[in-house]
Amino acid sequence: MKILVTGAGGFLGKQIARSLLMQGQNDLRLHFRNKAPAGFIESLLKEFPQAQIETAAANLLARGSFDAMLQGVDCVIHAAAGMKGAAADMFANTVMGSRNVFEACGKTGIQRITLISSFAVYKTDGMKPGDTLGEDTPIEPVGVDKGPYGYAKTRQEHMFMEFAAQYGFETVILRPGVIYGPGGGALSPRVGLKAMGLFASLGNGALLPLTYVENCADAVARAAVHAPSGSAFAVTDDNIPTCRQYLDGYLKNVQKMRVVTLPFGLFLWVSKKLVAYNKASKGQMPAVFTPYVVKSMYTPIRYSNDGLKKIGWTQRVPTAEGLSRTYAWLKAQPPR
Amino acid sequence: MLRVGIIGCGKIADGHVEQIRAIGRGEVVAVCDREPLMAEQLAVRLKIPGRYDDAAEMFAKERLDVVHIATPPDSHLFLAKMAFAAGCHVFMEKPFALTAAQTREILALAEQAGRKAGVNYLYNYETPGLELEELVKKGTLGEIVHLDTSYGYNLAGDYGLAVMTDPGHWVHRLPGKLFHNVLDHVLAKVIPFLGDEIDTRVLAFRRRGPTGSAIVDAMPDELRFILRSGGVTVSGNVSAHGRPVPHTLKVVGTNDSVELDYTARTLIQASRWSAPSALGRQFMAWTQAKQLAANGRRNITRFRKYEFHYFQCMRVLLDRFYDAVEGQGPDPIPPEQILRVCRVIDQIVEGVDACMAQQNGNGTAKEVAA
Repeated sequence: MKILVTGAGGFLGKQIARSLLMQGQNDLRLHFRNKAPAGFIESLLKEFPQAQIETAAANLLARGSFDAMLQGVDCVIHAAAGMKGAAADMFANTVMGSRNVFEACGKTGIQRITLISSFAVYKTDGMKPGDTLGEDTPIEPVGVDKGPYGYAKTRQEHMFMEFAAQYGFETVILRPGVIYGPGGGALSPRVGLKAMGLFASLGNGALLPLTYVENCADAVARAAVHAPSGSAFAVTDDNIPTCRQYLDGYLKNVQKMRVVTLPFGLFLWVSKKLVAYNKASKGQMPAVFTPYVVKSMYTPIRYSNDGLKKIGWTQRVPTAEGLSRTYAWLKAQPPR
Repeated sequence: MLRVGIIGCGKIADGHVEQIRAIGRGEVVAVCDREPLMAEQLAVRLKIPGRYDDAAEMFAKERLDVVHIATPPDSHLFLAKMAFAAGCHVFMEKPFALTAAQTREILALAEQAGRKAGVNYLYNYETPGLELEELVKKGTLGEIVHLDTSYGYNLAGDYGLAVMTDPGHWVHRLPGKLFHNVLDHVLAKVIPFLGDEIDTRVLAFRRRGPTGSAIVDAMPDELRFILRSGGVTVSGNVSAHGRPVPHTLKVVGTNDSVELDYTARTLIQASRWSAPSALGRQFMAWTQAKQLAANGRRNITRFRKYEFHYFQCMRVLLDRFYDAVEGQGPDPIPPEQILRVCRVIDQIVEGVDACMAQQNGNGTAKEVAA
């Protein structure tokens, strides 16, 4: 089976390719926007000499320009997405690019597509402390209240299902929590924010839905091949720390910072004031944290990865080891 | 309330919608983008009722008074024609057009239709720009001798990365490539001080290493130019590598000189050695510090009065443009200034082309007669 991975040069995409090869999928086509990261293909071939790896460069925003990339492909893992930039840019890079991919897949007759979505699509504002988020948790109807990234990813998922209905391809969706590891980011907004020489601790005692990049990639590779069509998975590791525990580890192992703790109740109150100020000042300060966002992201809930375990996924890198590797890598980076 | 439409739903469209709403002069009733998903996202995020992927349909159905055109500049002439034919005033995102010839055509169409053509030369309306306007009006600076304008951009930022990683990006289609998209910001501030006859000298080169893409590598990233119009000269610096990313203007007059920092929103008069001897020189730094502190206090006051928005300058410009639309004031950017900016861009682009054609990594000066 030939599998195409879009966004294979990304933080997760690179590991997906490796996980597929580790799980015995030897016929890969890897998509990059321009070209593969230096030495990447060579390192894969050295590790997996039996692999057949093709590369394809394409701008996914150029609709109709990459049909050739899909020729001969049985299964697509769509990992390319816009992770940053202005709201319009994020939407274009995530939704327009995905529309072009799904449309081309439909027309080419691709049988099965796995979409890498995000925790950001889950509708969690109504969840109470202690509730469990899992694959049965509903997703946002529109997502615009979750901010630009949540909106783009929600629209992407709804569109995915529209194209699946139109073209009849099989669908699998993975919604990772916070993907971490060497090469990734340091402190998720769920943990807190750096501002004016201080670090505002926001998540505190809430569990941080971490998934180590290799574990997440294993889940993608497993689900892409083995999950029933129509399934969707929340992707988190076992034994995940609280936001505060992650922050304490960061402070101890990576960098000292002056930390100000904002308890949930106070944070919620501040978010209401921010919205009121944003309105009164006609947008002088953006209302990044609305009460909806605070309730959705910072309520201390639990996370289930039972769905993944049912299809045979196991956590390859224990959380303690993942954290240790990540802190060590972050420590070795030049200060920004 | 004026009925306003937006054509082009990229990231700058957010700024237009927010500032139209902030001044409360018009209601954004519809948005349009050739890509329906882009029209959808702007309409959904900013709760705008109408959305179109066909400008003609929007004009036919929405009875617009004003349309803001925020598309890449190669579509501006076509869309402006359509807008004026529909009886709309046009507020254009920069660059106003691809060439001075297209600019003339758009301005002529506006005049024939009896409608206004504005342009988003927003930095003229930043607070230091407005303070400069007052100083010039009062004659504080005397006659203007020289202006030094500096503007930077970060190729590792979101926009820079989009341009650098996508050879299909519309910026690569502009005659002056990336410079073409920022020269308005550099020139619009100095053009009011120049006449119609302008001599131009240009030096442009690519400082960064090659990427392997011929299209991306054809884009220079450092530009210097000198303009002369009568007794006034301008030196210009557009840089991708200078840090911190500059956005400044120095204005040298026969009586006094000022330095404007558009990022910090400060305007400082040049230090003057007025007290004698070495002791007298001690006062100069403190005088400058006092001015900076006064600027800081003014900025805090503006913040408290909700007049410190990132796009506050666009808000002021739009308010004046809508004054002009409603017959309550002059054009904030007069048509002759728009045309002059576009003419100088043409001249600089010609100079950039000549430089890039002649060099293999080394800069060459090129003189372009006005």
